[in-house]
Amino acid sequence: MTDALDTLRQEVRLWLEGNAPQDWRDHCTTEEAFVDLQRSWFATLAKGGYAVPHWPAGWPGGGRGLAEQKVIYEEFARADTPRLLLSFMSTYHAASTLFEWGSEAQRQYYIPRILDGEIWCQGFSEPNAGSDLASLKTRAERQGDVYIVNGQKLWSTMGQFADKCLLLVRTSSEGAKQAGLTYLLLDLKAKGVTVRPIHQIHGDEEFAEVFLDNVEIPVTDRLGKEGQGWAVAQSTLSSERGLTLLELSARMRGALWRIGDLIRANGRDNDSGILRDFGRLATKVDAACAVADQFLANRIAGEERVGDASIVKLSYSRTLRGFTSLGLRIGGMDTQYHDPITFGGGMETGNWMADFMNSYAWTIAGGSDEVQRNIIAERLLGMPREPKSWTLKEAVA
Amino acid sequence: MSMTRAELQDAADKAFGQSDLAPDAEKAWGLIAEMGFLMMAVPEAQGGLGLGLEAAGVVHDALGRVLVPGPAIAQMLVIEALNAADTLADRDSLIERAVGGEVMTASLALRNSATLLTCVPNADRASHVLLVEEARIALLPMDGLTITPRDTWDKTRRLFDVSVDGSTPQIILAEGNASTALAQRLSMQRSFALAADSLGGANATLRLTIDYLETRHQFDRPLALFQALKHRVADLKTAIVAAEALLWERASDRAMDAITMGALKAHACNVYRMVTEEAVQLHGGIGLTMEHHCHLFLKRAMLNAALGGDADHWEEETGRQALGQAIA
Repeated sequence: MTDALDTLRQEVRLWLEGNAPQDWRDHCTTEEAFVDLQRSWFATLAKGGYAVPHWPAGWPGGGRGLAEQKVIYEEFARADTPRLLLSFMSTYHAASTLFEWGSEAQRQYYIPRILDGEIWCQGFSEPNAGSDLASLKTRAERQGDVYIVNGQKLWSTMGQFADKCLLLVRTSSEGAKQAGLTYLLLDLKAKGVTVRPIHQIHGDEEFAEVFLDNVEIPVTDRLGKEGQGWAVAQSTLSSERGLTLLELSARMRGALWRIGDLIRANGRDNDSGILRDFGRLATKVDAACAVADQFLANRIAGEERVGDASIVKLSYSRTLRGFTSLGLRIGGMDTQYHDPITFGGGMETGNWMADFMNSYAWTIAGGSDEVQRNIIAERLLGMPREPKSWTLKEAVA
Repeated sequence: MSMTRAELQDAADKAFGQSDLAPDAEKAWGLIAEMGFLMMAVPEAQGGLGLGLEAAGVVHDALGRVLVPGPAIAQMLVIEALNAADTLADRDSLIERAVGGEVMTASLALRNSATLLTCVPNADRASHVLLVEEARIALLPMDGLTITPRDTWDKTRRLFDVSVDGSTPQIILAEGNASTALAQRLSMQRSFALAADSLGGANATLRLTIDYLETRHQFDRPLALFQALKHRVADLKTAIVAAEALLWERASDRAMDAITMGALKAHACNVYRMVTEEAVQLHGGIGLTMEHHCHLFLKRAMLNAALGGDADHWEEETGRQALGQAIA
C-alpha cells in the first residue's frame, strides 16, 4: 500500500516537473490572466489525468482512493501550482451531485462537458438566507415542461465566469420550509439571467450575485424530485469536505518562508518578541496541518464523526487569520501601500493586506466560524440545542 | 508496534480512568509499575516492551487526566538514560529495579548547575537521581546528598532541590558526543511527556466544565444552552483536538529534535492553561473555591508550563529554527 503511494508520489512529482506553470503568481495581476491560466492549467491537468482524481472509476482520471488524492494534493501544494478555483465547483460540487442524483441522461450530457472545461457555480445563498438555507425565497413555478424562476442569488463563487449554475429554489411554501425546495440546473446564458460580480474588500471579484427574471428552466434539468431539493443540496455541500483543507493547510505551511523573509528583510532576526510570535505561529500551522491529516485518516478508516470537519475548518480559519495578521504586522508601513493583488493566488501571496482581508473569506464563507462553533458544541460535544421558540418567547415576554 | 494506541488507551483507562482525581500516591505508583507502564519504552532486548514514544504519550495522557501524583516523567527519563548506557556493567539490573518501581528521579527543569538540581520530583523516596551535564550524564546514589523540599502550589507533584558536591560517587551513563545526543533525547522525552500530561488534563478539564454547564441552571435554563458559553467551549475543544493531532504526529516522526518537541510542549501547555483558566471562569463562583476540582487542574497546568522550559524559551527557539528553514 505504502509502496504504491510512494510510486504515485514519484509519478506526480515527475509529471509536475514537466507541466507545472512557473512564475504564475507574478503574472496573475489581471482578471484576464487569471482566467487564461485557470483554463489552461485545468486542460493540462485533465490531459495528464490529475484534474478529477475523486471521480468514480470509468471517467478519465477518476477512481483514486482518498489516500491517493491526498498524495496528489500534497504534491500540488509542494509544487505551488495554482489552485483550481474556476473549475472547483464543477469538478466537485456539480459532478458529485450529478453522480449521486442525476439521471443517466443528465450524467451523460453534463459530466463530459465538465471535463472539457465547462464552469459551474452554486446558487444557494440569498440576501436574507446566509447560513439559514431553508428560508430562501427564490421562486419557481411549474408551467407545463418548464419552471419559471424569479429571485436573486448572492455569494456565487466565480459566478461571473460560469456557464452553469446549481440552483436551489422554492417550489412550495406549504409545510416544513425544507420540504418546499427543489434543485435545478440553470444555464447562465438563458434569457432573464443577469450576473454581476461583487467587489470584495480587497478589490478581487471572487463572488457574484445572480438575478433571475422570469427565467425558463426545462423540467428535464431538475435533480431529484420536486420538493427534494434540501436533500440534494446536502450532498452538494458535503462533496469536498476535508481534502480542500488538507491542501490549504499544506499550502500555508509551505508559505511560512514569506514571514521568515519579512523578518530578515526588516532586520528583526534577533527580536525575541518577533521570534516568539513566529515560532508560536509555525507550531499552530503544524497543528492545523496535523488535524486536517488526522481528519482524512479517520475518514479513510470510516471513523469520521459529525462535527470533525468543523474542527478542521475552524482550526484552519483561525490559524490563517493569525498567519496573515502576523505578516501584516511585521511588514509594517510597506503593507499599507496598495500593490496589485495576485488573482487566484491563494491567501498566502505575500501581499499582506490583501491576504489578511481575504482571510475573512474563510471565517465567514462556507459556514461562518460561529456556525462551526454551534456544530462542534451541539453535535460533537452533545451540548443542548437551543429550542427555536426560546428567542421569540423571551423577546415577547 | 505490537499493541495499538487504542489498546494501550484501554489499559491505561482501566488502570486510572475510574479512580478519583489526584489518587493516593503510593497506590498509584504501585499500579504504574504493576501495569508495566515504566517498561513500555524499554527495548525488548532489555526486557521491555519496545513501544517507544507513542506508548509513553498514552500513559502520560492517562496520568494527566486524573492528576496522578508521583515521579513518572522523571523515572522514564532515568530509564531512557539507562537504556543508552550500553557499556555499563550492571545496567540491566538497574533497569530492572527502575521498571519494578524503585524510584529513580531526575530534574524536570530546563537547566541546572553542576552543584544544584532543581525541580526534582520525589527525591525523598528515591534511590538515585540523574545528573545531566554538558559533557557527561550520570546516575547519582541519593545517599549523602542534601535534599530540600519545596512547597509547590500544585500538590499533585512534590518537588525538591538536590545539592551535589564533587565527592558524590557517580555512575557514568554517557560522556562526550554520546552525552550530547542523549541529553537531546532526554529533553525531547521530557517535553513530549509534559505535552501529553497537559493534553490529558486539558481534556478532563473540558469534560468537567461541560458537565457543569449542563447541570447548572440560571434564568430557567441550563448554562449549556447559552451560545456565548457554547462558543467558548467549542474553541477549547478545537484547540485540544488540533494539539492532540500534533502530539501523535510528532510521536511517530523519526526526524524530531529537541526544539520541535519543545515547540509541541509549549503549544500543549498554552492550550492546557487556556482551558483551565476558562474552566475556572465558566464554573463561576464554585470554580473559585477549593471544594471544586478546577483549581487542581489550573495549578498543574501552571506548573507544567514552567517545567522543562517555558513557552517564551521554546517559542523563541522555534522561531529561530523556522527562520533558518525559511530561507527560500
